[in-house]
Amino acid sequence: MNTNSNTYTVIYTTIIVTLVAAILAFVSQGLKAKQEANEKADTISQMLTAAKFATKAELQKSGNTAVLAKYDEQIEQAFTVGVDGKKIADLERGKVFSPKDLKKQNYKIKDGSDAEIPVFIFKNGTTVVPVYGAGLWGPVWGYIAFEPGSTTIKGAYFDHESETAGLGAKIKDDPAFQAEFEGEKADFTTANVFDIVKGGAPKNPDGKSVTDNMIDAITGATMTSNGLDAAIDTWLGAYSAYFKGAVNNKTEEE
Amino acid sequence: MEYISLFVKSIFVDNMIFAYFLGMCSYLAVSKNVKTAAGLGVAVIFVLLVTLPINYLLNKYVLAPDALIKGVDLSFLSFIIFIAVIAAIVQIVEMVVEKFSPSLYSALGIFLPLIAVNCAILGGSLFMQQKDFANVGESAVYALGSGIGWFLAIVSLAAIREKMAYSKVPAPLKGLGITFITVGLMAIAMMTFMGISL
Amino acid sequence: MDAKLKETILNPIFKGNPITVLVLGICSSLAVTVTLKGALVMALSVIVVCGISSLILSLLRNTIPSRVRIIVQLVVVAMMVILVDQVLKSFEATYAIDKQLSVYIGLIITNCIVMGRIEAFALGNKPWPSFLDGVANGAGYGMILIIVAFFRELLGSGTLFGVDILNWLGYVPNNLVILPPFALILLGCIVWVQRSIQKDLQEK
Repeated sequence: MNTNSNTYTVIYTTIIVTLVAAILAFVSQGLKAKQEANEKADTISQMLTAAKFATKAELQKSGNTAVLAKYDEQIEQAFTVGVDGKKIADLERGKVFSPKDLKKQNYKIKDGSDAEIPVFIFKNGTTVVPVYGAGLWGPVWGYIAFEPGSTTIKGAYFDHESETAGLGAKIKDDPAFQAEFEGEKADFTTANVFDIVKGGAPKNPDGKSVTDNMIDAITGATMTSNGLDAAIDTWLGAYSAYFKGAVNNKTEEE
Repeated sequence: MEYISLFVKSIFVDNMIFAYFLGMCSYLAVSKNVKTAAGLGVAVIFVLLVTLPINYLLNKYVLAPDALIKGVDLSFLSFIIFIAVIAAIVQIVEMVVEKFSPSLYSALGIFLPLIAVNCAILGGSLFMQQKDFANVGESAVYALGSGIGWFLAIVSLAAIREKMAYSKVPAPLKGLGITFITVGLMAIAMMTFMGISL
Repeated sequence: MDAKLKETILNPIFKGNPITVLVLGICSSLAVTVTLKGALVMALSVIVVCGISSLILSLLRNTIPSRVRIIVQLVVVAMMVILVDQVLKSFEATYAIDKQLSVYIGLIITNCIVMGRIEAFALGNKPWPSFLDGVANGAGYGMILIIVAFFRELLGSGTLFGVDILNWLGYVPNNLVILPPFALILLGCIVWVQRSIQKDLQEK
């Protein structure tokens, strides 16, 4: 057979391309559910880590099913709010915001158009909200957990797509960096809600920071720290109306 | 302002060679003298500049979830589409250049086919997808910046290698070994740009 | 096993190593060598992609029209890469690593080793030797990745596979080792050692 004729070339290429596309579509459909389950379990375990139900390593070891079960057991309510602090809608049970969803909302927050940002409240009263922004190489995001009805931070967990391992990647890998957030307070009265300070936060003689909303940046990872700082300011800024409302209501109730 | 900062950043900070090691194979193979290095560099700029905006549009209007048909996510096809576009563009560019500008063709000609498998080109498209630019203009600026960054990297390495021919390098290190180490040292120098805020 | 087949397997791992001798496939590799785990997954992915695409293209070798040869090769390699990426994303154990490797998995497509071996070997040989050639080249590449990653993780983080090795002794991790340039310097040193042993590889 003449393998160099035009007809043969065209037919051959068409068959190969169709075949490959079919195989890929089939595999991608078949594995989609599993991939989404992995992504969801990853997101949920980040929230649970921030809210101090377990550590990320423990959750990873326990497997997806256990992570989902734990979340289901602990979650009280999840809903979206606007930047005006008003509740927009309840989230479906078990629905979370993937990094892709956060990205979409990040544009909306920056545009000033109607963002719908999620709030997760757990049974013990802990409120968890996400943050999202650009690091040095790619996006950084994470979850910050607040003590019941207050602006005191209970815990935080961050993740990234491609920060330098061992430097910028410490926002994810270094528990000491995440632990710095604990006990700090977000200051919702200014645009500078929270500060990650290069060269160390200014300290009083007793070793405590001068203000409650500052922590030290990661040495050698200035750009990642700055990016995370901006992400936190943008997102917590968007939540400030909600938090002001939530904290005031709480005080009235008490 | 956004464009200028993106441009400078993609040349110096996110340099394809020094920060990501992309296009290393041809970078090491074709950096023996400045003239050929410059030829390949120009070809890379050119192809990046043509393929990136096309892949950007494809990514935005065909591959992204819900882009073509609601509820259909074709992003799993992105690798194959990007590489097909690159291979096709390289072919077309080669034919067009040959027909309309024989002098440019003889300057670029031999490098064009090499470029389809240059990781810097596919890398450019994949990073573009990851970085999520707001419009075609930004993707074009990013392409131009990355291309120029690659061009500068290969020309400067070629210049160093030309000079290095006169140095006394230990025999086992000659050629490839010392080139690796040179590129490493150049990359360390380029890292000083990482701290600049744009 | 006959001598020729043995040569096919052993040559790419030492004497004709794709990275240190043929200078192929450095592109997508160095950025993944910060941790041993990432390097291992990358190495396995390249072995799988290289072996199976060589096998497929060798089976097809008499039917491929020469004009669209490169496109057909790219399509098959891209398919394998996408399959590997999709599979890595689907398992709980590998999901986190796939996330870490991100775009570098996709860049296996343009890894010159894969295309280079198909063009040079698979299109002219029977399926079984082609498969072995692909696997062996992938392994030669993977070996260098793992050597580089071993030193970078040990000196840069004081750990191996995430397990603390040096830190409890009071070792302060060297940040330079983690940064991309050091991978190149390390690679230069590997070439230095290899060429000191195999003198016939030295360049004039």
